[in-house]
Amino acid sequence: MSKENKIKLFLVDDDIVFLKLLEIEFLDHADFDIETYITGELCLENLSNNPDFIVLDYFLDGIDKNAKNGIDILDKILAINPDIPVIMLSCQDKIEVAIDCMHHKAVDYVVKSETSFIRLKKIIKDLIEHRKLEKTLNWYMDRI
Amino acid sequence: MDKNRVNARSLIEASLDPLITINTRGKITDMNEALANTTGITRENLTGTDFFEYFTEPQKARGVYQEVFATGSVNNSPLTLRHKDGKLTDVLFNGSAYKDEQGNVLGAVVVARDVTEQKRIATELTEAKIAAELATKIAETAKIKAESATRIAEDATKIAEDATRIAEDAVKAKQQFLSNMSHEIRTPMNAIIGFTKVLLKTDVTAKQNEYLTAIKLSGDSLIVLINDILDLAKVDAGKMVFEQTPFKMALSISAMLHLFEPKIHEKNLTLIKEYDAQIPEVLIGDPVRLHQIILNLLSNAVKFTSNGEITVKVHLLEEDEEKVTVEFAVSDTGIGIAEDKIEKIFENFQQAYSGTSRLYGGTGLGLAIVKQLVEPQGGSILVESKINEGSTFSFSLNFKKTTAEAEYVTEIVELDLDIKGLKILVVEDIVLNQLLMKTILEDFGFACDVAADGKIAIDKIQTNTYDAILMDLQMPVMNGFKATEHIRKIMNSTVPIIALTADVTTVDLAKCKTAGMNDYIAKPVDERLLYSKIVGLVKKSLQNTENKLDEIIETKKLKCIDLDYLNRRTKSKPELMIQMILLFLEQTPQLISTMKQSLQDKDWVLLSASAHKIIPSFSIMGINSDFENMAKQVQEFASKQIESDGIPLLVFKIETVCKQACKELEFELNVIKNTLHE
Repeated sequence: MSKENKIKLFLVDDDIVFLKLLEIEFLDHADFDIETYITGELCLENLSNNPDFIVLDYFLDGIDKNAKNGIDILDKILAINPDIPVIMLSCQDKIEVAIDCMHHKAVDYVVKSETSFIRLKKIIKDLIEHRKLEKTLNWYMDRI
Repeated sequence: MDKNRVNARSLIEASLDPLITINTRGKITDMNEALANTTGITRENLTGTDFFEYFTEPQKARGVYQEVFATGSVNNSPLTLRHKDGKLTDVLFNGSAYKDEQGNVLGAVVVARDVTEQKRIATELTEAKIAAELATKIAETAKIKAESATRIAEDATKIAEDATRIAEDAVKAKQQFLSNMSHEIRTPMNAIIGFTKVLLKTDVTAKQNEYLTAIKLSGDSLIVLINDILDLAKVDAGKMVFEQTPFKMALSISAMLHLFEPKIHEKNLTLIKEYDAQIPEVLIGDPVRLHQIILNLLSNAVKFTSNGEITVKVHLLEEDEEKVTVEFAVSDTGIGIAEDKIEKIFENFQQAYSGTSRLYGGTGLGLAIVKQLVEPQGGSILVESKINEGSTFSFSLNFKKTTAEAEYVTEIVELDLDIKGLKILVVEDIVLNQLLMKTILEDFGFACDVAADGKIAIDKIQTNTYDAILMDLQMPVMNGFKATEHIRKIMNSTVPIIALTADVTTVDLAKCKTAGMNDYIAKPVDERLLYSKIVGLVKKSLQNTENKLDEIIETKKLKCIDLDYLNRRTKSKPELMIQMILLFLEQTPQLISTMKQSLQDKDWVLLSASAHKIIPSFSIMGINSDFENMAKQVQEFASKQIESDGIPLLVFKIETVCKQACKELEFELNVIKNTLHE
């Protein structure tokens, strides 16, 4: 599969161990073109690379006080390109966090765990499917 | 006559072809010298004679010159001139009439062109052509013949090859069939007998015990029968190969007698053993087959003796520089054999009396096998017997002497309660057998882990340490041979591996050794033998690697990480493992120091954040979830900004485990790097 056909995926997390694990999983399981960023700022800087999806950690400003948190980054991403689906990732299984993410127009919310990769993959698969359907629908709508 | 005419005349005379002029009546009027030469008749005699007389076919010649007069000319009419001595000259007759000024025909000028030479050439050419055609035809025929010969030869070769292949296939198929059959029958038998044994050890009523014993005995005899049939089939197929390995005979025989003791005790018989101390300790021969011979004789002795004693004697008969001759004798005080029946007992499926089988059981294969095993090794079997007094079966075999060390021979060891807690990996695809092995091993006080095929086994060995591995041979995905090879060659592990096999063919045993297995044990597994083999091999490998093992045990005890999850995630790819471990080693110390610092500074937000961040790493590296919960607690407390006395302790515990984890991961990292370099 050529690079153009691959799904470009941004992984953003300040936990480098978890970030690497996610990367390994995606590289191994499907045709993804992956870019990893350990800060939200770096992710924003490289948004011009046109990612198809972004997996964004919720809690980015924990250690580095100057760093913007996940929600801020999410807002900025959508301000630049509202069509990029952003999936939020967090250690916290708190409902408030999930609601917060949804209010800021994240497409989904996944709790970090041993199985988060499977969830992420499924979400992405569904999103791709959804996008395809949307396109098809638009195509038909144009012709009606 | 003017000059021109003279010249013309000399030209005519010079021609080698006969030139003749004739008058209208066919008489020769003039000629050149060539005609005189060709006919052998002088010009004077020729002049005025009939022209056609000099041809072999005068009628035709006359016809030809008449044609000249009639039509004015004749071209290339073939005729033959005859010499007066009989020599023939083939000519082509060309003639044209000549006329006077008034147009009256005066005569004809005839040229008889000598074509002897052309004819000869033509004939030769034709002949040559025919010869060439013939030669071509012959060559073609030869070619066809050669081709068909080649084809026949090829066909013959192919037929021969086919025949060989078919024969080989047939032998292979037979061997395969036997091997498969034996596997297929022995595998369920293994479970039946094994579980019966397990059941017998539990609390059962006297009645149940009786029934279970009956099942076990039937199972045992069925296994014996299957083994016997297999052995005989192997002899028939010429597949019985005798090994030449150094072994300790005394040890080998006593080990075998040991196995027989329960049966002998059961029947209240006495076993007397005589072993010649002069026999060299280590000899070269086939201990497995020697076992089998004595086992068969012994089992007959036990079977046909209801009271009294059974004697096994081993004597040195001869000894020279190179070899020894040893006589083995098994005597009993049983029913004996009539003299006229002695010949018969060595035949397949024969017993001395047709009623024997009903009374004592058995198939009558035992002695046939004994004979087949003794005779190819250059021995012969002797029988002395008296009805109702007993029988003595004896045979002698030669063994080469050697200075080589004997190969490892299992000594039967009694259950040693001190040897406990060995960790054994059972690699076996059949669930029933897994359960059986687990039950038996746990009875020994061993810990037991199960892998369903070689691939899974390798994964398990990578993350766990085992004291020994029991390896089934026929498994899906990756069989026992391949798995062992991988463990030995790629993982460079010397962990003792015992093959579990249902099919004890020599071929398989050789393959086991080549693959790097230490020993094998036949299914159905004899518990005592299994125990002895495991303990023996573990002790042996302990001696070899005493110090190393201590070290391993040390680290094993304190191990806080478990790379199982990481292995699965990275598919055990060393590069990815290394990347992950390096990242953990980079991030964790930073986080720990942040946690400590923030605790000191009472920076609760930072403490919460760093505790939060460290959580996912724990499960990735397989660190006990207790620590994950501790970190969660720290995070919880810190985020609520409640100063708790518990926090410093929790942080300290997390720090300790992380330091330990880093140490272990550094060690693992080196291990992985080493495997990468190999």
